[in-house]
Amino acid sequence: MRNSVANEIKKIAKIDETLFVIAGDAGLGVWDDFKDSKQFINPGVNEQLDIGFGAGLSLMGHKVIYYNIAPFVIMRPYEFVRNDVCYQELPMILIGTGSGITYAPAGVTHYVVEDITLASTMPNLDIFSPADPVEAVECFKYAYKSQRPSYIRIAKNGEEKIHKDELDITKPIFIHQSNSKHILILHGSIADEVSKILEIVEINVVSVPMLTSDFNWDVFLNDFDKVFTLEEHFINGGFGTMLRDKVDKKIYKFGLKNEYIHKIGNRDYLRKYYEIDGKSIGRKIKGMI
Amino acid sequence: MKQIATNIRKNILHIANLAGSPHVGSALSCTDILATLYFEILNLEEYENRDYFILSKAHSAMALYATLYEKGLLSKEEMEGYYQNGGTLPAHTDRLTNPYIEISAGSLGHGLPISLGVAHALKLKSSDRQVYVLMGDGESQEGSVWEAAMLAPHLKLDNLTVFIDRNNLQGYGRADEILSYEPIDKKFEAFNWKVLRVDGHDSQAIKEAVEVQSDKPKMIICDTTKGKGVSFMEDELIWHYFVVTDEIKKKAFAELEEVSSEK
Repeated sequence: MRNSVANEIKKIAKIDETLFVIAGDAGLGVWDDFKDSKQFINPGVNEQLDIGFGAGLSLMGHKVIYYNIAPFVIMRPYEFVRNDVCYQELPMILIGTGSGITYAPAGVTHYVVEDITLASTMPNLDIFSPADPVEAVECFKYAYKSQRPSYIRIAKNGEEKIHKDELDITKPIFIHQSNSKHILILHGSIADEVSKILEIVEINVVSVPMLTSDFNWDVFLNDFDKVFTLEEHFINGGFGTMLRDKVDKKIYKFGLKNEYIHKIGNRDYLRKYYEIDGKSIGRKIKGMI
Repeated sequence: MKQIATNIRKNILHIANLAGSPHVGSALSCTDILATLYFEILNLEEYENRDYFILSKAHSAMALYATLYEKGLLSKEEMEGYYQNGGTLPAHTDRLTNPYIEISAGSLGHGLPISLGVAHALKLKSSDRQVYVLMGDGESQEGSVWEAAMLAPHLKLDNLTVFIDRNNLQGYGRADEILSYEPIDKKFEAFNWKVLRVDGHDSQAIKEAVEVQSDKPKMIICDTTKGKGVSFMEDELIWHYFVVTDEIKKKAFAELEEVSSEK
C-alpha cells in the first residue's frame, strides 16, 4: 500500500506544482527519487512543527501531504491537527503508515490502536483505512480532490491486491458475496484474514475503507440479519463504535482489547493472542449465527 | 503614530469594557508594535499580493481587532461584536471571521510553525512579500517554538521577521521566576537568527529594526510594559485577567486623552 500511494503522489506532483510532501524523517526508500524536489521536505523529527508548517503551506494554496509513521501523525501532534488543520478547514492529507499493530513487536509507542478514536473527535476530518493497494490509491485520489482534511492510515508495503479495478471507496466494497443472511464488515488491512474466516464460516464480507462518507448504512444493513465488524484497532472507539453510533441495528464488534500491549510477538502472533486472526473470528462468528 | 497608537488603545479599552473580557494588559503591551506594523510597514495594497501578519500570542486579539478597525479593515459593528453573544469576533482569533485575520490561534506555540509554512510558500513562488509574526515572551517556553527556530534558518527564510513582546509578565507572574527564557537573544543567535533588541513602544526604533537587512530570519525582541499607556495597569499582573468596568474605562480614557493633548 505504502509504495502504491507514494507512486501516485509522485505522479500527481509532476502535473500539480501546488502538491507538497512533508515527511517527518520517515520513508527511507519511499521518497529517495523525490527527496530533492522543491515539492518535498524532511524537516526532521518535530511533529508539531510538521503539522503547523504544513498548515502554513496549505493556507497559501498548496495541497499538502504529511507522511509519517501513524503514531506521529495523529497522536503526537493531536492539538496541532485539531487547531491548525481541522479548525482552520485546510484540506491537508495526513498519511500514517504502520496502522494498528503492523509494526509489532516494536512496542506500544509504535502501535496505533486508538488513532480512529482520536481522529473521529475532529468533525471535518475524513478517515480512511484501505484494505489493499487498490483501495489505498483510491483513498488518496479521493483525499487529493477533497476540500476537507483527510487522514489515511495504511499498513506497510507488499500487501496482496484484493481488487483489480478502480472502485468507489465511499461505499462498502464486496470482497465475498454469499447467500448468508449475515455480513462481516472489515476496516483496514485486516482484510488479509478473510480467506481463513471463509474456510470456517460462510458469510458476506465487505471492506469499508472510508468511514466518514454519507453512505446510507441503515438501508444497506436492512438486508442482513447479524452485522459483524472487524478491525485492527481497540474494540471500543474504533470503526465498529462509529458504525454503531450511525445505525439502529445491533453491531457485533471484533477488535483489540482496550489495554496496553506488553505481549511480545509479530503482528500475526498478536492477532492470534487477541483472537482477531481469521480462524478465531471464523469460529466466533460460526458460534453466533 | 502616537495618536494612532492612542486611538488603538482606546479601541481596546472600549471593546474590553463592552465585553467584560480579560487580557487587556497583554493587548496594550503590543499596541505600538501593531500600530507600527499596520501603519508603517505592512504592504496591504493588493490583497492577493500582501505582506502577512500572524498573531501568535492570540490572547492579544483585541489589539489586532482594534488595529484593523483603525486601519479601516474591520467595521465598527464587527469590532464591537467582539466577545458578545451572537457576536463577530472571538477572544482568540478565528481566521474565518475576517480576511485580514491570517490564522486561527490562541493555543501558544502555533503561530511560528505556521508562519514558516507561509514564508516558505512565498519563497517557492519567488515572491518578495514579507511575513511578520508576533509572539509572547512566555510563549517561548513552548517546545514547538524551538522546533521552528531550528527550521527557519535551515530554509533560509530571510522573509520572516518575528517580534517577541517581552513584557516579562506571563499568566502567573514574572517569566524569570517561573521559567526563564533568557538569554533569549543569545539562544536565537545560536540558532542562526539575526537578533535585534528595541524599545517595543518606540515606533521609530521598531521600524529601523525591521529595515535592517539580513540574509537570515530576523528576531526583534521588543522590551515592553504590560498594560502600557494606562498608569494603573502598567506592569501589573492582574490586568492579564481583570475586566474594564465603566469607571476604569473612564479613568483610562482620561489618562490617554490627557497624554494625547500634551503632544
